[in-house]
Amino acid sequence: MNKISQRQLFFLLGCVAPVGKLVILPARLAANAGGDLWIPALFHVLVQSAVIFCVLLLAKRGKSFYELLADTFGQIIAKILSVLFALFLLYAALLPLLEQQIFVRGVFYDTLPSLAAFSPFFLFSAYLCAKPLASFGRVWDILGPMAIVSFAGILVFSATNADYLAVLPVGSAGLKGIAGSTALSFSWFFDSALLIPLLGKIEYKRGAAWKGTLCYLAGGFAVLLFLVTFFGIFEGTAGNQLFAFTKTSKYYSAITALGRIDYVFIFALALVMAFYSALPLQGSIDCVLQAFGKKRYLPTLLSIGVNLLFFGFTVFFDFRFNLAMEFISQKLFWIFPVFTVLLPPLCLLLRRKRHESA
Amino acid sequence: MKITGKLDRDLGTLKQLLPAEDILTFDFVSVKGLAFTVLFADPITDKELLGEQVIRPLLHYDGKPTAEEVGRKITSPEKRTETDLAKLSEEVLAGNPVLLFEDMDEAIIVGTKKVFVRAIAEPSTDVAVKGPREGFIEDIKINTSLVRRRLKTPELKIEFLNVGRRSQTYVAVCYLEGTSVKQTVEEIKTKLEEIDLDIVPDSSYLTHFLASRPYSLLKQIGTTEKPDIFCAKIAEGRVGILVDGSPIALTAPYLLVEDFQSSEDYFVPPYRATFTRLLRLLALFVAIYLPAFYIAAQLFKLQLFPVKLLLTIAGSIRDIPFSPSLEMLLVLFVLEILNEASIRMPKYVGMALSVVGALVLGETAVSAGFVSTPAIIIIAFSGIGLYAVPNLIEVTSVVRLAMLLVAGSVGTYGIILLTGFILLYVVTTENFGTPVLAPFSPIVGRDLRDSIVKYNLGSLELRPRTLKSPNKRRLGNE
Repeated sequence: MNKISQRQLFFLLGCVAPVGKLVILPARLAANAGGDLWIPALFHVLVQSAVIFCVLLLAKRGKSFYELLADTFGQIIAKILSVLFALFLLYAALLPLLEQQIFVRGVFYDTLPSLAAFSPFFLFSAYLCAKPLASFGRVWDILGPMAIVSFAGILVFSATNADYLAVLPVGSAGLKGIAGSTALSFSWFFDSALLIPLLGKIEYKRGAAWKGTLCYLAGGFAVLLFLVTFFGIFEGTAGNQLFAFTKTSKYYSAITALGRIDYVFIFALALVMAFYSALPLQGSIDCVLQAFGKKRYLPTLLSIGVNLLFFGFTVFFDFRFNLAMEFISQKLFWIFPVFTVLLPPLCLLLRRKRHESA
Repeated sequence: MKITGKLDRDLGTLKQLLPAEDILTFDFVSVKGLAFTVLFADPITDKELLGEQVIRPLLHYDGKPTAEEVGRKITSPEKRTETDLAKLSEEVLAGNPVLLFEDMDEAIIVGTKKVFVRAIAEPSTDVAVKGPREGFIEDIKINTSLVRRRLKTPELKIEFLNVGRRSQTYVAVCYLEGTSVKQTVEEIKTKLEEIDLDIVPDSSYLTHFLASRPYSLLKQIGTTEKPDIFCAKIAEGRVGILVDGSPIALTAPYLLVEDFQSSEDYFVPPYRATFTRLLRLLALFVAIYLPAFYIAAQLFKLQLFPVKLLLTIAGSIRDIPFSPSLEMLLVLFVLEILNEASIRMPKYVGMALSVVGALVLGETAVSAGFVSTPAIIIIAFSGIGLYAVPNLIEVTSVVRLAMLLVAGSVGTYGIILLTGFILLYVVTTENFGTPVLAPFSPIVGRDLRDSIVKYNLGSLELRPRTLKSPNKRRLGNE
């Protein structure tokens, strides 16, 4: 339980792309790029794949992020940089959490429920964050196959109603539309950063870097397929369709007779999303623990503190989701490429210091 | 405290150690003048056997006055010498008579314990249509003989320990040398030796001390009442524990998947075994989730019901005075009471209970408009589903209640989050270094062949990798 096995890592990599991009992102991309919504996503998937390859090469060294930094810059600077990265992960966690909040309130309830409907998530997250990050690996042995089957189920249910030619002609949004969509979607593609806290906890075996990258690419292409299907179903109204993955499958012909059986898949994906949403929080706490050591009650205290803070954010942004989304994805979107595109490859330049054997 | 050889003095010391009134002594002298005294606990000693196999031969004894020579004359197959008076007193309390001789510094213990046992019968908790029907009973010697009869190999080790300060209960640790993990055997023995209990009335007392998370809701030690299952588990590399006075044997390490398997699965074709295992899994999910989702859908998301079903349900619940969650809790409460009463009640009242339960409480409650028909159907379905996996009832009934409460207060998302909690808890639980959720988490590909899916016996040539047995092969050459 102290290490994340290669298979668990592959499941995680295969799932992070689809799970985190199914709620608001498809509608945002469709609103800005129309039928070209897949192009910004393709750009991000390819860039993130390359960065993930770099992170997995770093994982080969078997050292944690803090240890890698400390070998080159010394302990004080390493501590500062670790805390800085932890703060970035907290910042990155905000949008998925707010997104999850409106998803839960919009999809799981007929009438708008009170704030209490989403607040139990923070109990769950606090419990999860207090556990060692590596113990998270085993969960992906269950969540991985569950996410794959559920996502495939939704795609199958949706495919029969999609007009795939609706995305043609390619480039209709123009360079400006595509570039703008690419910029605003940076805040959804921070997958490589999620791997940084896992450094030193991965059971690296030969070929893990390219195999892991392929898993991420497979997940990324599943996202592209979903985006195209989504646009093929809703076309002109796609920009208004929030909670995309709960809507594409509801027109499946069997549903009228059996009820919303696609909800089985939606519930399963919601479970995976709950773990995914807590991942940056857990990563952030782990970065701090790496830098300052795992003192007795520190993981629990940090976990409670961070989750209380985010509970506060969800209360504050309760009816201001659009404000938060615009601020994160349009005004401060540049923070994401700094930490998720530039930083990981730069880490490859960190010094390889050999520890003296005991 | 050693034997002095002075009969009166030794007897006096033993009497001091055993002041109870049912400890009897009888003095004898052989034809050659050898004086000896027999000391025994009256209610638990077979006096007929003692007279036939011990006293009668000794009365005619005319040989040398040594323990070795005297012992040869005793026809009882269980006999041994002892010099420590404290140990002798323990043997008397265990039902084994002690013989003390004049001018001899050794006493003889004979195994003429009176054994009160019930007949070997099919256990009511683990009934099989096909396959062996024998079940363990309360006597540890008979239980170990049932094990030994199935595993006729010198590799089978049965080590006895005494647990319980006052009860001094015999506990047998059974394992196959070279197949079980040595470290697990040692860990179990150490944990058993460290138990500081007053009495051990049943094996379930020990599970608390053997579990890595003693206060966990989750089961961490396997249980079985059937010697065939017990032996099969030992042969896979597990360690078995038999406790005197308990028909329930323990096995460790425990995997959650064990409770979805039945001994019958190995006596029917693999496709049938796979089907029934899937059925059990499905039944368990239905038992836990169906009432919860029904409430969540009614309270928060009616869209989950197909339209026609929704209309039927709406018609049934229209005049019910309680909220859906209170109604469901009420029906569940009645079911639990009926269940508890049916177990404790004398059998001849059972029929009356069924009538009261089914007709009075069910039919009348619906016609009076207290509860709706769908609620009764769902709880009945859930109740039946729970019994498809009988070994997990203690856990699943609590989880079902928790799901109901969460569904009634937070709705579907609450059910999802509670599932996440449970999942995280289960995947991080280990006992004796073995993950409880293996071979699903961590995935152990080869072990999946005998998990929910059951492969043909010929495909199970290797022992489960999860159990880390040093002897990997079970079919073909080792």
